[in-house]
Amino acid sequence: MRRTSPLREAGLDAVTLVVLFLLLVPILWVFVASVRPETDITGGGLWPQRLTFVHYEAILAKKPFLIALKNSLIVGIVVAIITTALALPAAYALSRFRFHGRDFFGLLILGTQMLPSLAVLVPLVVIVRQLGLTNTLTALIFTHLALGMPIAVWMLKGYIDAIPKELEEAAMIDGCSRVGALTRIVIPLIRPAIIAVGTFAFVLSWGEYLMALALISKADVKTLPLALQGLFDPYSFSWGQVMAGGTIIALPAILLFLIFRKQLVGGLLAGGVKG
Amino acid sequence: MDMAARQETVTVARAASRSPGRSLLPDRWLPYGMIGPAVFVAFAIAIVPLCYAFWLSLQEWYMLRQPQPKWGGLINYRALLQDTQLWASFGRTWIWTLGTVFVELLLAMPIALLLNRETAIARTASALILLPWVTPFIVLGFGWRFLLDSDVGPIHSFLHLIGIAGDSSVLNDPVLAFATIIFISGWKGTPFLVIALLAALKSIPDELYEAAEVDGAGAWSRFWHITVPSIQNTVVTVGLVLGILAFYSFDLPWIMTKGGPQDATTIVGIAMYKAVFLDLRPAYAAAISIVMLVLLFAASMFALRARRID
Repeated sequence: MRRTSPLREAGLDAVTLVVLFLLLVPILWVFVASVRPETDITGGGLWPQRLTFVHYEAILAKKPFLIALKNSLIVGIVVAIITTALALPAAYALSRFRFHGRDFFGLLILGTQMLPSLAVLVPLVVIVRQLGLTNTLTALIFTHLALGMPIAVWMLKGYIDAIPKELEEAAMIDGCSRVGALTRIVIPLIRPAIIAVGTFAFVLSWGEYLMALALISKADVKTLPLALQGLFDPYSFSWGQVMAGGTIIALPAILLFLIFRKQLVGGLLAGGVKG
Repeated sequence: MDMAARQETVTVARAASRSPGRSLLPDRWLPYGMIGPAVFVAFAIAIVPLCYAFWLSLQEWYMLRQPQPKWGGLINYRALLQDTQLWASFGRTWIWTLGTVFVELLLAMPIALLLNRETAIARTASALILLPWVTPFIVLGFGWRFLLDSDVGPIHSFLHLIGIAGDSSVLNDPVLAFATIIFISGWKGTPFLVIALLAALKSIPDELYEAAEVDGAGAWSRFWHITVPSIQNTVVTVGLVLGILAFYSFDLPWIMTKGGPQDATTIVGIAMYKAVFLDLRPAYAAAISIVMLVLLFAASMFALRARRID
């Protein structure tokens, strides 16, 4: 770092804090509103005075919301597991083998990342309908694989590239098979990256709205984003409850992302991203 | 099971040759077995739907009149050319896309420069700044509806105070609603650009600045002659990625205004969604998605070429 005066740095730090606050205040407000009594939200001024968890109790007592919570967990966890299980061997093959079509397959997988869901929405909806899979979690899980898989492959490939080949070769000379070398040497070394990639797939699926909206209309297979929309009863809805539901959706995404930030940010920049 | 069996042969072959080389026969098929499932998913989720969309766009399929698809040739494309509402939504989408990227550049540039320092606060801030990017659209959409609500929204009160909003929410005014949602769209994408710019800024060697300083270059001239050229590539590539994402937006305007008021926020993504689910014309919607793809491709090529000439 070049020479800088401490006073100037302190001044810039103060500006940074103000800018950060302004950027994040819309999200903070959602959290704050979720723990304020309804009367305070509608007419209690800006500064929160009283703390309450009635909104959380209210929505967690709602059957549709609980069902959606369960569905979102199922979809998210299955998507995370399948994504990792598909991405890890693919990343290994791209990193360690030279084979015909390697570049083509690599670009194909990366290209999927650049393709927004909306671009394939219509054909996917028609295909799913013709397969009779509308209103099933299976169809949703399958479409959600596209969200995280390409990035998972490219991130894991980067991590595997960084492991010296000699480690595996030594193991194979000692009688380990190729897959044995993968499971005994490579996987333990990149475990943090594997967990990060799975988490990422979970988070993307957890908040996904468009595919869920297009494929799901029955209450018993709805996911959380759809359930949140359902809280918007035009005649009697509570802002507090909607914000509490929003917090329940946002918080896991935010926390998991911050925990795995180091592993994820590099991969995000490398692969472009799906919003 | 198949994999295991194949693996047995690999082991045997290896044991026999005692060589760590990579030219053994079974190894030739192993990579295909390993990458196969991921490639299958990529095919099923990207390539197959894209080809199917093209085929679908050539069908005549209007659920109310023509419940089974039948060959229609260019019928959808012909209808599309005359659909003035659709072209209006394409026009809005360009404004939306350029507006979103503009807001992102405007916000991200100074923030990245601000965060490109080694203090604890700058480091923490560059982690927390990601929140709008990682928070799902559904939460942000409802959050902003709350903030802009004319009864309870604190930001509405502020906008009312400074005279931008009248008694009803800005979301009820066609022009203001569109501008507001473009701003929110840009706000959501800003962190991504900040992080990318930050990575580019950090890779500029300090010596460059020091040398410039010795030569008597002022702060502005250092920024213009060292910083700008070094981050130019990042700005163009990330800007293009963010532009593509914005072009394919749906969630935010749908959650916030359902394309209203009076179609003011109906960008082409929403028009396409309505064509499938409200008008029940999947083949027509497929034609829209093909046209989107072609226009986007042309625009990206144009943007990249403009950069090269530059």
